[in-house]
Amino acid sequence: MIMIRFLLSLFRPFRWFIERTGADYNQFIHILELKLTMDNRRARGSRNKSTTPDNSIAKQSFAQIVMGFVFAMMGIIIKSEFTYFYMMHTILMFMMAMLIISEFTTILFDTSENTIIQPLPIKGSTQSLARNAHVFLYLALIAFNISVASIIIAAIKFGILSGLIFIVSILLNVLFTLFLANMLYLGIMHIVSGEQLKNVMMYFQIVIAILFMAGYQLGFNLIDKSQISNMTIGVSWYTFLIPPAIFSGLIEALSTGIFDLKHLLFIAEALIIPVVAMFITTRYLTPVFNRKLLNLEQGDRATKVKTSSGKTSLYFNIISKLFVKNNDEKAAFQLAWRMSGYERLFKQSFFPSLAYVLIMVAVQFFKRDINLSEIASSSRYLILLYSFILVSLTLSSSLMLGNNRQIDWLFKILPINSPADYFKGFIKAVFVRFFVPFYVLLSIGIVAFWGMRVIPDIIVAWLVIYMSTLLIFYMQQPIFPFSQAKASSQGGKNFVKVMGLIITAFLLGGLHYLVSKWNIYGLAALMVIYSTAIVLINKKLAYRLINWEKVDDFNTYN
Amino acid sequence: MIIVANQENIIVKNVYICTPKNNINITFKHVEMNTESIVEIKNLVKKYGTKQVLHGINLDIQPGQIIGYIGPNGAGKSTTVKILCGLIDEFEGDVSVFGKDLRMNQLEIKKRIGYIPENAALYESLTPLEFMQFVGQMRGIQNDIILSKAEALMNIFEMKSNLNQRIATFSKGMRQKVMICSALLHNPELIFMDEPLSGLDANSVIMVKEMLTHLAREGKTVFYSSHLMDVVEKISDRIILIDQGSVIADGSFEDLSRLSNDENLEKLFTRLTGNTNHGEKAEAFINAFEK
Repeated sequence: MIMIRFLLSLFRPFRWFIERTGADYNQFIHILELKLTMDNRRARGSRNKSTTPDNSIAKQSFAQIVMGFVFAMMGIIIKSEFTYFYMMHTILMFMMAMLIISEFTTILFDTSENTIIQPLPIKGSTQSLARNAHVFLYLALIAFNISVASIIIAAIKFGILSGLIFIVSILLNVLFTLFLANMLYLGIMHIVSGEQLKNVMMYFQIVIAILFMAGYQLGFNLIDKSQISNMTIGVSWYTFLIPPAIFSGLIEALSTGIFDLKHLLFIAEALIIPVVAMFITTRYLTPVFNRKLLNLEQGDRATKVKTSSGKTSLYFNIISKLFVKNNDEKAAFQLAWRMSGYERLFKQSFFPSLAYVLIMVAVQFFKRDINLSEIASSSRYLILLYSFILVSLTLSSSLMLGNNRQIDWLFKILPINSPADYFKGFIKAVFVRFFVPFYVLLSIGIVAFWGMRVIPDIIVAWLVIYMSTLLIFYMQQPIFPFSQAKASSQGGKNFVKVMGLIITAFLLGGLHYLVSKWNIYGLAALMVIYSTAIVLINKKLAYRLINWEKVDDFNTYN
Repeated sequence: MIIVANQENIIVKNVYICTPKNNINITFKHVEMNTESIVEIKNLVKKYGTKQVLHGINLDIQPGQIIGYIGPNGAGKSTTVKILCGLIDEFEGDVSVFGKDLRMNQLEIKKRIGYIPENAALYESLTPLEFMQFVGQMRGIQNDIILSKAEALMNIFEMKSNLNQRIATFSKGMRQKVMICSALLHNPELIFMDEPLSGLDANSVIMVKEMLTHLAREGKTVFYSSHLMDVVEKISDRIILIDQGSVIADGSFEDLSRLSNDENLEKLFTRLTGNTNHGEKAEAFINAFEK
């Protein structure tokens, strides 16, 4: 609450300005207070309603400050002032863009209070201003949290004045980013609408997430770190078009007192562009945006209704016969198969994680000088194959994600002897639908490069991944699929799991390598062992791990 | 049974008689005619932590009837229904359905009952057909039978054309219809309904009422939980009033109104639950917003 009061008090000096735009100041503050209170209580990933977080803003802020500290550490070696601020502003813009994209429903597309505010006598301009102020506050808070460390370092390295101007430039940067975000979303909304928009956004988010990981992995692994400290960024004509450069130019000019033509241009740009951007945003973009947003809310029903025939594909029919034996399991298998094709949160979570593994492996492969013939004769494909054991973790957790809260009653009301049948069907469906085709493609690539001799290895590795997926899924909390809002914020626990899996992958991969060197029939023996284990896990262990008593502990059936 | 000349006293006696301490049920003639109970509840007590929701419910329900289970918000209606359907496992007392102990024979009982919850979640991104396919397969019904039944049931609600559309685009009433259809897919003998008419339009309400009467005529038992008195009084063979987790009256509408001289259930209910000062409350309400 103190946090919110503080944030609201920041608007008091601008009362005259707010009233000049035609908005009602008191209403404006109260809408903003409502939005911030809702933000503060938004349970991020927590499933229990009883544990409503009351300080999620403060908690998030802390995490962001820590993250900012890491970024600042990377910049600490940079000698050139212009380059330092250039880097910091770039990181800032990138982080804000990431947040806007990943949480667009809660930031830009937040219509939750529309039903409350719309019937009240509030002017459109007040509401628009409150919306913009909310997004601005949100972004500014994030920007400052991330920059706390880099501001301090800047003040120490380049003087207090630089630090202070940096703060101002961050505010200008936020204004400009807000404008860019508005433009971006208006552009996308112009092309597509309704349900389709949400799908486009989903794939957009997936691509961005993958690009981010790729950029991070490749960027930081490939750059020679000793070069950064002496890195300077030259000023060409196009530098004046790069926002981070503009803001760094402003800081450099004001802190060093150099006012040549180049720097005057930077100053002019840095001051004029954000102000003009803000003017365009509030005057022209927001009204259009709000109108589109209302359409989006109501348009879902008006636009073409999505249909599906309820029939199943040939691939499904073949595969389901292969993987699923009993009838209850088959119904669950079909349910998860269908749902996973529709559920955005699932795809949003699973696809990037798959790409992530791929990128990590690619980086490992191409780190140093590439010697193709050497690689082809090595057993490095084992690293490639076993890396995908990580999928067992991400697939299991992604399967829980979705907006179907309180769906648990459905499963409890049906006459099912053991809930394990449900869960067996669920995990098999997504594994077969999403991982197997990917693995087949990967295998084709591997066979093309290493030759037919690696086929037994591919089969063994597949068995290991399937086994570990089943094990992890059966051991996790038995929550029904597509019913959890967001990945549980059990960051630490998850890290331990990932590390454990990586170690397991190393051990099993090592075993695989040794066995294959030791005897030609070794791999056949492994196949038999793993297949038996899989059968035992499915036939015995699953029923022991998942029973109604345990399921009832995690579900409330309300 | 104690019959006192003064009308007011009868109500008081009824309330008194049915408190858990005494455990005496008021039963009426037509109820006594049936011998085999389909649902038998003895001393049902349910606590959520320290909060006691049900204070010893005793009920005997005969097949082929529509039972109106009514009470104000928070009386324990949904809790009773959820216990009977096997959604809540932890309770005290004895409950048997189809003559079998509920605790021991959950699976078998679940096979023969249908449950229509109030405002429950559906898998939004599925179509009604896909949803019903899942429910039907889980109940061991063959695919072609599911398909023809789903079509027929949805057709009754004039929703056949929506069979292949995503549930996410449906209105509240349409969702409720999907819920009703999927609960009746396996031809259950005993149907539990928790406010089944919530969100339905006038035509569908009439339709559901008709449907209930038909189902009862076919020998099915309907346990209908609601706070909407006027619907209950029209269709129920027997009305059970509960308040604060206890049964406060039980009988046919005629029986209940004969005893109390009230012309409708709402008034009877008002008197039984002791909330007779509605006039005053309404006045206070008006005063509050005129300030």
